[in-house]
Order: sequence, then structure tokens, then C-alpha cells
Amino acid sequence: MRKRSTGWLLLAPSLVLMVLAGLVPFVYVAWTAFHRWNLNAVTRDAVFNGLDNVRRLVHDERVLDATRTTVLFAVYAVGSQLVIGYGLARLLMRRFPGRQLFRTVHTIPLLVAPIAVGATWRILLVPGLGPLPHYLEQWFGWHVDLGTSGTVAFWSLVLVDLWHWTPFVTLSLLAGLSALPVEPFEAARVDGAPAWRILWHITLPMLKPVLIATAFIRLMDALRLVDEAAMLTKGGPGDSTRFLGLQLVRIVFENNDYGYGGTVSLFALYVTLVISWALYTVTTGIKRQRAHGG
Amino acid sequence: MRRRPSAALALAIAGVVGSTATASARMSADTMSAPPDEMSGIDAEWWAAAAEPYAGTTITGVSESTPPSVYAAETLAAQFEELTGIAVELEATSWDEMRNKALNDMENNTGVYDFIYVEQDIAYADIAAERLTNLSEMYADNTDLQAPGFSWDEFNTFLDNFADADGNYFGVPMEAFIKIYLYRTDLFGDADLQAAFEEQYGYPLAPATTHDQYRDIAEFFTAHGTDNDLELWGTTVQATTSHAASFYEFFESVAPTFGLYDWGINAEENFAATVDNGGAMNGPEAVAALEYWVSLLDFAPPESTSSTWDEVASTFAAGRAAQGLVYGENATWIAADGSRSSVVGNVGVAVPPLADGVLEAAESGEGYVGYYDGGAFAIPAGADDKEATLLWLQFLGLPDVQPEWAAATGRVTENATYDAPAITAIDEEVGGYFTLMQEQAQLFRGAPPFAFHSQVVSTVSPFIWSAILGDSTPQEALDAAAEATEEELTNLGYRT
Repeated sequence: MRKRSTGWLLLAPSLVLMVLAGLVPFVYVAWTAFHRWNLNAVTRDAVFNGLDNVRRLVHDERVLDATRTTVLFAVYAVGSQLVIGYGLARLLMRRFPGRQLFRTVHTIPLLVAPIAVGATWRILLVPGLGPLPHYLEQWFGWHVDLGTSGTVAFWSLVLVDLWHWTPFVTLSLLAGLSALPVEPFEAARVDGAPAWRILWHITLPMLKPVLIATAFIRLMDALRLVDEAAMLTKGGPGDSTRFLGLQLVRIVFENNDYGYGGTVSLFALYVTLVISWALYTVTTGIKRQRAHGG
Repeated sequence: MRRRPSAALALAIAGVVGSTATASARMSADTMSAPPDEMSGIDAEWWAAAAEPYAGTTITGVSESTPPSVYAAETLAAQFEELTGIAVELEATSWDEMRNKALNDMENNTGVYDFIYVEQDIAYADIAAERLTNLSEMYADNTDLQAPGFSWDEFNTFLDNFADADGNYFGVPMEAFIKIYLYRTDLFGDADLQAAFEEQYGYPLAPATTHDQYRDIAEFFTAHGTDNDLELWGTTVQATTSHAASFYEFFESVAPTFGLYDWGINAEENFAATVDNGGAMNGPEAVAALEYWVSLLDFAPPESTSSTWDEVASTFAAGRAAQGLVYGENATWIAADGSRSSVVGNVGVAVPPLADGVLEAAESGEGYVGYYDGGAFAIPAGADDKEATLLWLQFLGLPDVQPEWAAATGRVTENATYDAPAITAIDEEVGGYFTLMQEQAQLFRGAPPFAFHSQVVSTVSPFIWSAILGDSTPQEALDAAAEATEEELTNLGYRT
């Protein structure tokens, strides 16, 4: 009993901070979500308007498009990072000349702030002036224009995110692979199991906790992407890369529409929770299936 | 492929990376640590005595990182502190960041900032929302703080942008420019190019006075660039497809030259935007303007669809365009600062090309020919050190402070500045910009007095982008924009 109260006492400062910095703002945002509160309106005060903001969101094509774009981005970016990160982790498990140097250089993008990443890639990709569009056109005949092609802008952001965050996935999976026991692998090889069966039946199941944790972390980041998109494309051309985070920036900071911004914020949280739950359900469902001999 | 990144890339990158500008002062802060001779008219004894109760105070402000603000932060703040003992910390940042910080401070009365930058087009919203201190009243109520030499009468008409309906002033103008038509005097003055142009188009090459001429010139120089493997296009276009800058160039600088004013929103007809309801946003003048402006993209550098005002200035400074509409705050450094511009000495200025009747309408006061840009420093209603800040604002408004500030950064807020030796000495160097501004500034106008300014910009911008990208015709884009504007104004309570 005394140990328990001592434990709570020691935790108290952290809990207070979490409540102040986390719970209180959340409750405030939830409160604004059910009010009409726009500093540019004739009435600038916050007025309770029930579910009007929710009704507005359901019919807001821009928010729905932004949600769709964000989810697509998360799927492509995170999925690619997991595959490439796993490959690089396997590579780094082997000994080869320059392995340490490669690991260090490969990790450098992680040290760069997202907004600096966006700014740097903008210099590289700006139409007419950036070296990448110039040489891609000169060498391959590819016309790459961030200012006019939504496809180019979207995939540029996927590639930038890959460049920036794959090292995180690599290092996480490398740590996971390094911690795996060697005996099951040796036994499988002795039994003559091909590499793909070892991967599917031994490596991935044993690595699953690390894979899931890494995927969740990257998914959370991808779903709330703002900095890199704000610097590289500003959400354009048009609204083609206006992710949900950027759309929120527009609603709250450009339009000063705090009430509707609160609603969209809650919606963004809801989307994140649904996707996380889906991922968790699928992965634990596979686990249960295996446990029952499926 | 004819286009290659060249040394001009280094100059262009400075504008492309972000909207934070570095100081373009002709004199560095090191040489300006003491007030220059032009400021000898300042009564140092009065300032020291008036500021004595506030000596040791530090006042804090936030502004956009334009050359005038950077000059104020690096040069004028030091001079003011030497006079008064009051330190000034001026945070110069991007426009978006500046506005967010200022708005948060004012809305929450946190007292973080003692003074903020209020752009002309935002002033109405802040005054209507009672976020700013009534400086006229404060000045009148504090006779011991009325600085000798400071007078509201010294300012030009730009001051009126910061007044309420009763004539009370809520800001001290610190920068004012006109968005001007820049052209390359070396290209326009080349004998061979003149001959070739006249042969092709049937009239002499000269700064355009009509839209057809402007388009012909753009077409001519784009072809010249292509034929001679040059990084040269006929015109700049501020046509970013993801930022409000394209809205601003179209509605503030291009549309008025076709006779479309106040964004096509008719405040006297229940803030109508559609022609059907009494507005003009989707009317014939608007459509003609948008068709013309979008067509110029055929003669503009490839970065145009990613260009805000900073990129346009950098494009012109890098010598990539023969002409363009450029904000005046950039015109002077483009024309005179060799460390940032590759077209020094080859820049001319002119009034933008106009449709028939527009000039007459502007001269009569019924219309205008372009954008009168600028801003003021104001004191938030919840500021802490208002008295010390009032002294700072008056210092910035002293006639003696104006000439060097104007010479360094191209801003003019007081009438007497035009006759100052520092200005007359460099006027020719900057293509006659100050003479043109003195003679023609009254033809330009700031943004309409809409408290819903930012909301309409945000609502309409996507439709402008759609027209730029070719996803909709100009008529379709403006029809949709006008309807969306009316819907938004209804939601906000302005349209009943």
C-alpha cells in the first residue's frame, strides 16, 4: 500500500504535466468543435451550434479530399519505408567494407528538421531552377513540374518522406533483427528450408512486435504531416497535396475559423484511431490465427 | 534543352527558399550606429527627458521580414535606444508567422508584443475588432509624450488606411509602395531588338500602355530567349498554385487595370459578388482580366506557377524576365543592389498597362490602376508598455528619419521625403521609382476595406489556381468563385 502511494506520488508531476499539456487542450478543442467561432465573422464570439460543424464537415469536399490524400500518402510512404527499411536492415546485418560509414551516412537525414527537409527539396525541385527537374528532362525527357502536376507533387512528397524516415525504420528493424535468437534460423537451414520460407515463417513472426511498433510510429507521423508539405508544395498545385494537417492550418490560421477547426481536429483524431485500430486488429488477428494452427 | 541552371540560380534561390528577406540596406547597421547628419533636426534633449520614466525598458514587436522592417530592427532601433534608453526588439519573420503571432497576442491580450505590423489590407479587420490602441486619442491624452517634429499631417494619404470612420488613427505607417511595372531598359533600348519588334508588330518597342502591347512584348522576348538560347522570358507572373499570392496579383494588380475594383464585391448591394446579384466578380471585366493574365503564362519562366512575390522579384533580379509587375519594396534593390540583383542599372518603371477608361476613372477617384501596398506599426490594445512604444512609433514617423530609410528600402510614407537629397540622388539609379510614386501614387489603392479579407482570399484562391492549372476556364473559375464568396459571406453574417 505504501509502495503504491509512493509510486503515485513520484508519478504525480508527470501526470500533472500530461493533464495540463494534453488533456486540457484536448477538452478545449472538443468544446470549440461544437461552437461557431470565427474571428472574421460579424459575430466574433463563440456561439454553441450543436452539430452544425459536423454537418458542414460531412459535406466539405476539401476536408474529405484532404483525408483521402493523407491516407493514401500514409499507405504508400509507410509501406515503402517498411519494405526498404527491412531490406537495408538485412544488408546491415552482414559484414561488408564501409558498413559503418554507410550506416552513419544513411542515418544523417534523421538529424534534419522536417521543415529544413522541405526547404532543401524545394530548392532541388523548383521548376525552371532546380537541378532535378532540369537533369531529369535533359537525360530522360521527363517533365517534372511541382507547380502544375499534382501527381509529381504527391510522389515527390512520398519520396522525400522515404528519404527522411527510412533510416528510422532501418535502425528499428536492425535492432529487432539483432535481438533475434540464431537457433531457429540454424535449425531451419539444417532442415533445408528455402530463404523465403525462413523469412515468412520465422523472421517476420519473430520480428512482428518491432514491425508493428515501427509501423504505428511511422503511421502517426505520416497522418499528421505538415512541415515538409508546407515547405515543398504548400498543399498544391491546387489542393492536390493539401493533407489534412495543412487543411487544418488553412482553416484555423488563415481563416481564423476556430470552431470548425476544432471539429476537423477531432475528425483527424478519429481517422487516426480508426486506422490504428484496423492495423492492430489485422495484426493481432493473424497472430490468433497462427496460435490456433491456421 | 535550352534552359540550364546558371549563376542566376544562386540569386533566384534566395527568394525561392522562403519569404524571409535579408536586409538590403545600402548602409549597414555598423555605419548607422549613430544618427546621421540628416537627423540633426531631432531634439535629443527632449527625447531623453520624455523617455526618462521608461529608460531601461525593452519593447517588443513583430513584423514581416521586409527590407523596411529589417532596417527598422537593425538600424533605427539602435538610434532610438541611443536617444531614449529604451531598447527595441523587433522580430522580423514570414508574413504568415507574423500574422499568427500578432493575432494570437491580440485575441488573447497576452501583452507579448508592444507593437505589431498591421498590413494595409488587414487593418480594417483589426480596427473593427477593436484589437488596436487608438493612437490619435493616446497622442492627444499624453501631451508630455508628443514628440517635436512628429505630425499626422506629414504623412501621405496612405495614413488613411489606418483610420476608423471617425478619423482616428490606429497605426503609424512604416512602409508604403506601389506594385509597379518594371521593365528591362537594356532590352527595350537595344537598337536591334527595337528594329525587330517594330518589324514584327508594326509599332515601336516601348513600355506597354495597353494589355495587347504587354502581351506582344512578352511574346517577343520569350521568342528572343528561345532563339538565342537565353534564360529570358517575356514576363513574370505571380501564379503560384498553392498560395494566396496568385489571388493577390490577379485581384489587386491585374483586375483593376481592366476596370474591376474591390475584387468585384459590391458592399452597397449586400456584398454581392455574382453579376446576377449586383456584384462583378464573374463579370466581363473579370473574365477578360483572368483570360489575359493566364495567357501570360505562355511567356513566363517555368517557376511562375510556384512563384509568390519573393520569387517574382528574384526572377526579375536574376534577369529571367523582360518585364513584370513587382512590388515596390523590391523594385529599389532590384534596380540598385549589385549584391542581390544582376540587372542593376537596367531597370525602368512605369504605370501598368490599362484598358480604355481605367486611367480616367482612377484620375477621377472612381477607380484605381493597381495596388498601393504597405503597413503600419500599431499598438495592440492589450500591450504592456504603451507609452514607451508611442515614443518609438513617433520616432519612426519623424521627417528626419525618413530619407535614409526610404533610400535604403524604397518605402515612402511622408510627402516631404520625395524632396530629400538622399532620395533625389538615387531616384535615377532606381529607374525613377520615387518620381513615379510621387506623381502617380494617388492612382493606386490598397485592398478594399473588408473585415472578411482573409476569409474571401482563402475561399477564392482555389478557383484562381484552377484557372491557372487549366482545370477550369476563367469564366467557370470566376462563376464558382463568386458563388462561393457569396455563400461564405452569408455564413459569416455579412450577407443577409
